[in-house]
Amino acid sequence: MHIPDGYLSPATCATFYGAAVPVWVVAGRRVHKIVKNRNVPLLAMGAAYCFLVMMFNVPIPDGTTAHAVGGVLIAVLLGPWAAVIAVSIALLIQALFFGDGGVLSYGVNVINMAFVMPMVGYGVYRLVTGHVSLTSPRRAFAAGLGGYIGLNVAALCAAVEFGLQPTLFHSANGTPLYAPFHLSQTIPAMALAHLTVAGTVELVLTAGVIAYLQRANLPILRLNHPAVPDTDAGLAPARTFGWRWAIVGLATLVVLTPLGLIAPGGAFGEDSPEDLNLHKYHLDAVPTGLRHYAGFWHNALFDGYGFGHDQHPVVGYLTSAVVGIAVIAAVVFAVFALVRVLRRADDDHDELEATVA
Amino acid sequence: MTTDTAPSWLLQSQAGLCPCGCIGRRKKGGFVEKTISGASGLLRQAMFSEDMAARPGLLQRIEPRLKLLGILGLLMAAALVQHIEILLALYALTLVLAAASRLSLSFFIKRVWLFIPIFTGVIVLPATFSFITPGEIVVPFGTWFGHPVGMTSQGLTSAGLIVSRVAVSISLVVLLTLSTPWNRLLGALRSLAVPRMFVLVLAMTYRYVFHLLGSVTDMYVARRARTVGVQSDVTSGRAFVAASAGALFGKSHALAEEVHMAMLARGYNGNVRTLTPAKVTPRDVAWLAGSALIAVCVIGADLALR
Repeated sequence: MHIPDGYLSPATCATFYGAAVPVWVVAGRRVHKIVKNRNVPLLAMGAAYCFLVMMFNVPIPDGTTAHAVGGVLIAVLLGPWAAVIAVSIALLIQALFFGDGGVLSYGVNVINMAFVMPMVGYGVYRLVTGHVSLTSPRRAFAAGLGGYIGLNVAALCAAVEFGLQPTLFHSANGTPLYAPFHLSQTIPAMALAHLTVAGTVELVLTAGVIAYLQRANLPILRLNHPAVPDTDAGLAPARTFGWRWAIVGLATLVVLTPLGLIAPGGAFGEDSPEDLNLHKYHLDAVPTGLRHYAGFWHNALFDGYGFGHDQHPVVGYLTSAVVGIAVIAAVVFAVFALVRVLRRADDDHDELEATVA
Repeated sequence: MTTDTAPSWLLQSQAGLCPCGCIGRRKKGGFVEKTISGASGLLRQAMFSEDMAARPGLLQRIEPRLKLLGILGLLMAAALVQHIEILLALYALTLVLAAASRLSLSFFIKRVWLFIPIFTGVIVLPATFSFITPGEIVVPFGTWFGHPVGMTSQGLTSAGLIVSRVAVSISLVVLLTLSTPWNRLLGALRSLAVPRMFVLVLAMTYRYVFHLLGSVTDMYVARRARTVGVQSDVTSGRAFVAASAGALFGKSHALAEEVHMAMLARGYNGNVRTLTPAKVTPRDVAWLAGSALIAVCVIGADLALR
């Protein structure tokens, strides 16, 4: 996933450098606040460790080996913001001294592997661990799952960055100037490689290291989990189940929205009359009633999930998705608020009746 | 006279097999061998770079900050160019620079082309077909359901562009790395407004990598010494990798604590000092002006050809 120079346009690289600078600034402040002046050796150690983790070959069943990135592992061990800096530095050393990953594309690699990967992976880890002790097997599993999902989301980012190049940067006769594959090719290719082999390797290494440290070196795990009790006996009573899982599921669906961009064809039974294959239904013309009611409503804000006249279909699709989610969320919120108000009024009413009785 | 360069036997990638060729069937190395050879490869590459940087050549004499700026300018020009001919001319320029910096050309070409540009060529090959890059078909492969298919002129141009641009970019970075000692290169990063603290962490990281690499090699060599026959059990192999990575984290954390205490004992108070940069000579200014001029000419020629 180390993108070399030459695959991405200078405009893309500049954009991602611009995005990486605030990430570094925030990470630097957060880390400094936590570890004070110990941060220099601690971060250098984290970065060196990250560099070396990428060298560990993990055996996979067909007899070959693959290596992990380790971004989520560092995030679990040292915290996500320290991971941002450690992975960034490891990537810089690889790019400058060992020619692995480009210098102009360094900003892109930082956003994919040093920001998106540890943040997403650590988020998954925190959600799945929930309220368990430091030695719970669920913690190792959660770290592994975080590694798997973090790596795949980072790979999806890389695939989108590659896939946008031919659409955005091509010469007058249609020659792609940078990476030539479209989103519909890059996303499945990266997904296939990362959902199967690379993701599994990341899962095995991340979960394996956490499980090993749970057995052999618990104080190291306490660095980033100072308040977590060692065993289940020390746990405070668990909180109620809550909304967490519903939100996780919905957030996953939201993140997957761009998949609609690569789906070919249309949904069955949703074609507009002019797209119908009339011949198939032994018809000569669109039935008058269908034609009349098909055009009944013309005032949709995003007609056909896009802007008018099909300009910028990708941006239109994503904007429709964001606006749609926002509108649905607002409606649901309003309904719940209304129900709460009504219920409170009802309770007050009951209370009043009870006092009267 | 004593020499401070690495001996040649150390830099050879493989211990010599029997001179008559390979004996018996060669087994594919397992994860242990791969990690050990990866570790020694890393050391070899770093030592070789230091040796090259100590040679008296053109790029080695240039002040690191200006060298970095010049190379970055050329790198950006290569990224902006949209014509294969101009990229090939830039590639020729990197070969001239390599020769002037006393790098062996065969080594330089091998180091650049193995393996990223060749890998790039393989993965962009499908994009030369009309399925992915539609356009004017120049190498026809027959028809598919009535549509002619084959390699398109657009697809071939695009593949040529990306492979040559990748090769030029890697050549430029390799020139920078091989002609600059690592501590000077890190110091030069200061000229790009990289914060001092970041440079300090970077320098310590580079040092730690080689220290901890020793631990990794020790663990893996010990593992190999304990293994009789071929290691084929994937589960125990994975358990070993996880345990060694976990143990390495423990070691590196202990090292960080020790280094921190040693820094405090030597009066570290959070202020960072970096190496004072060398004096800028007229030669350095000429280099910067020359590389800027080339970058501008390259972009200008590219615009004129469009």
